[in-house]
Amino acid sequence: MARTISSRQTTVATIAAWFLAFLMFFPILWIVILSFKTEGDAIGTPFHVLTSGWTTEAYSAVQERSDYPKHFMNSVIISLGSTFLGLLIAVPAAWAMAFVPGKRTKDVLMWMLSTKMLPPVGVLVPIYLIFRDWGLLDTLTGLTMVLMLINLPIIVWMLYTYFKEIPGEILEAARMDGASLKSEILYVLTPMAVPGIASTALLNIILAWNEAFWTLNLTAAKAAPLTAFIASYSSPEGLFYAKLSAASVMAIAPILVMGWFSQKQLVRGLTFGAVK
Amino acid sequence: MATQHSKTAARWMISPAVIMLLAWMIIPLSLTLYFSFLRYNLLMPGTNPFVGFENYEYFFTDPGFQAALINTILLVVGVLIITVVGGIAFAILLDQPIKGQGIVRILVIAPFFVMPTVSALVWKNMFMNPVSGIFGHMAKSIGLAPFDFLSQAPLASIIGIVSWQWLPFATLILLTAMQSLDQEQLEAAEMDGASWWSRFWYIMLPHLSRAITVVILIQTIFLLSIFAEILVTTNGGPGTASTNLTYLIYAQSLLQYDVGLGSAGGVVAIILANIVAIFLMRMIGKNLDA
Amino acid sequence: MKLNAGILTGATALTFLATAVCAETLTIATVNNGDMVRMQKLTNDFTSKNPGIDLEWVTLEENVLRQRVTTDIATKGGQYDVMTIGTYEVPIWAKQDWLIALNDMGKDYDADDIIPAIRDGLSVDGTLFAAPFYGESSMVMYRKDLMDDAGLEMPDAPSWEFIANAAREMTDKDAEVYGICLRGKAGWGENMALLTATANSFGARWFDMDWKPQFDTKPWKDTLDFYIDLMNDAGPPGAPSNGFNENLSLFQSGKCGMWIDATVAASFVTNPKDSKVADKVGFALAPDNGLGKRGNWLWAWSLAIPSGTEKAEAAKKFVAWATSKEYLALVAENEGWANVPPGTRTSLYENPEYAKVPFAKMTLESINSADPTKPTVDPVPYVGVQFVAIPEFQGLATAIGQQFSAALAGKVSSEQALATAQNLASREMKRGGYLK
Repeated sequence: MARTISSRQTTVATIAAWFLAFLMFFPILWIVILSFKTEGDAIGTPFHVLTSGWTTEAYSAVQERSDYPKHFMNSVIISLGSTFLGLLIAVPAAWAMAFVPGKRTKDVLMWMLSTKMLPPVGVLVPIYLIFRDWGLLDTLTGLTMVLMLINLPIIVWMLYTYFKEIPGEILEAARMDGASLKSEILYVLTPMAVPGIASTALLNIILAWNEAFWTLNLTAAKAAPLTAFIASYSSPEGLFYAKLSAASVMAIAPILVMGWFSQKQLVRGLTFGAVK
Repeated sequence: MATQHSKTAARWMISPAVIMLLAWMIIPLSLTLYFSFLRYNLLMPGTNPFVGFENYEYFFTDPGFQAALINTILLVVGVLIITVVGGIAFAILLDQPIKGQGIVRILVIAPFFVMPTVSALVWKNMFMNPVSGIFGHMAKSIGLAPFDFLSQAPLASIIGIVSWQWLPFATLILLTAMQSLDQEQLEAAEMDGASWWSRFWYIMLPHLSRAITVVILIQTIFLLSIFAEILVTTNGGPGTASTNLTYLIYAQSLLQYDVGLGSAGGVVAIILANIVAIFLMRMIGKNLDA
Repeated sequence: MKLNAGILTGATALTFLATAVCAETLTIATVNNGDMVRMQKLTNDFTSKNPGIDLEWVTLEENVLRQRVTTDIATKGGQYDVMTIGTYEVPIWAKQDWLIALNDMGKDYDADDIIPAIRDGLSVDGTLFAAPFYGESSMVMYRKDLMDDAGLEMPDAPSWEFIANAAREMTDKDAEVYGICLRGKAGWGENMALLTATANSFGARWFDMDWKPQFDTKPWKDTLDFYIDLMNDAGPPGAPSNGFNENLSLFQSGKCGMWIDATVAASFVTNPKDSKVADKVGFALAPDNGLGKRGNWLWAWSLAIPSGTEKAEAAKKFVAWATSKEYLALVAENEGWANVPPGTRTSLYENPEYAKVPFAKMTLESINSADPTKPTVDPVPYVGVQFVAIPEFQGLATAIGQQFSAALAGKVSSEQALATAQNLASREMKRGGYLK
């Protein structure tokens, strides 16, 4: 270590970082706390909230009212399904753009990203009519398709920036060795591309899990995911802080845990291509 | 260097994505364009006569239109400034050798995983509510009158909520970029007597510029269509104080069920989004090719 | 499903078998209000009486629900077999032939028992198109203890002047007691319901007989100024974002002296489980200004069957069950009389058990004193007390509600808010072809 870091500086940085991190995390911590309170205690002062008794009655109330496992499974299916389908389509596209760039490649990429900027409300009625005619309303198939499409531009773009960083010489070398296109992809590129694909997949799962416009508007009962589950707790009659907190915790916990476990992976791919 | 063979193969590989996105874009878009010239209200089914530019006229003269345009820009720019500046600060701080860095990082990125609807509900009820929210309790405990965030400063409150969601994303990307910064370069500069500020300005910031571009690009895409947060917290009000373009179109097409008017708004928003896109692309193109 | 339908039409003898084998699933869209959540819990009673029919619930927050069902019925999406809608939607939708007529609900149903004011609101040309699940008007709910402390006595039929005075007397901001809680959150079903009903009692109206908007008239100015002054002096902080639910929480936690809102809230504020002030609540009719109209509205959350459904028979069975006398008895048995969905059936109010419920009498009187066909002092071309039953209303009233909410927040003056309201309404009326 050329630079000596004073322990005082470390202490200050540690305290500051912990303090700020606590502030960022506090809202989530707070709903976890409120979810274990009675409705009456949950609206009290912070001091009252912290000193009052703990109970799981809000969770029981939510459990009794909603079919959480169904919504949960729907969320899992549409996030994983749309991610899988998206990758299936995006990987070849991004690969081709990165390794065989044409004059129009950049334009195509930019155009793809710009489709992401369309305000969804502007096209809801047309989409609704199409879904009705194709019998896709309230189906997991329809929802998976829509989520795949709205996130496809981001997937293609992330994979593209990632693939671009894979040195072309490796491919050249493989080609010199007489590798076919197929084996080039299979044995040379895939191993190098896996981290990028994995992190793209993670980001897409998060985005799909949290998407709350199409999932709410195109579903009724059968295909409704957790976003619809939350919409039934958003402002019911009477005191609702504890129940809302419990429902919120149930809706965000799975994705939060997944995010925490995979954060290194997520960051690595997110930034590998784009950020040196 | 690419052979004809691989070029053809490349075209085949790109086409599914292009075709699907084209279909996804063009079918609803052409329907939207078509509807925008009709008098078409879902609640009044009938012949849906062709009315030319009437819907556009009504959309542009809507009393909320100007406010919506300004609010959209304020919202995007406000959140971008907070998250980029905050993200850089967080990144520099977390890049220090601090104790328990792993846990700190987990805590900081957590908000990114929270559904927008949930975070809006939580902020609105548990924090900003002047009577039973935490900020209200805090103000009262030190003898101040509670501040009514959502009616007194609606747009700023929404910017705050959205920034809370996106700050982790900016931090993540900028932190990774910071970690790849050559420490020796920094140390050399320090030994040459460069102040912290000039090290930041001449070494760190240029190094981060690409990461900042990525943050701006991705966030802008999402921020332009912010909707759930507004719907849940303020419904675009009071007045039109927190109505953005997406919300205005929502109010027209789903509150009034005026598909014609909503479609006209949709077309306008798409044109505006594309203008922004072109700007962004220029910027990105410059920064990412380098 | 098609196969099932074929069997049904083909061989009547096989009907029983077919339905028994392929259970029909009804998708029911409803609001996340307490009474509906309770209905959801009692599902077993229905399914055990009607084997072969399964129920699937879509419970959503009111605004989300309304948007979902309206989009679906207008595009004939067919996602729901039973929809929960209100008195505003029923006449508009029925005219479009979107709803199935509910004339033949079975001989036990006794449709004549439905309270006449409510039944009229849900009928078009004498045909019932939705069955009321609960009906409501609005009334004054007040804290007897705080009223005593202020040395006042609430009459059964107070005037606005008395209410304003009492509210200011009861307010003690240091103790977090606010004399009056009223809706301020923008929305046609939120602040505009209250303000339109209040305006009726001030002699204001939305449109004159030529559909010319009337927001530039003095009664509207008086209404808005009265409301804003009162709320500034005696209302809780954050009033511009308070809707029904927010005010309910405030009242239940003892922070409001008075609350003028839906009669259905009476059972929540008197329920000791949720309300800290359950034993201290009194009720009175909504106030008036001596002009012959009271500031109370009329609403009924009702169950309707979209005409596109393939399961009309099963859906009718469900609607009949949920709005029957037996259902009321079922709730009473499980949860007590105070929790029975109120305001739908005359027989409920003749029941001596129900008469013991403290708010029963005032609820019925409030409902009976509202007249959707003659809502205002001066004649109007529309029906509806706190709404105008035209399709343009909900978008327009929400936009105007935003203006009034902004005026309450002090962002614009009441003159400005009314001028913008007049402008918005004129635009919309012109666009809709009401005004030449």
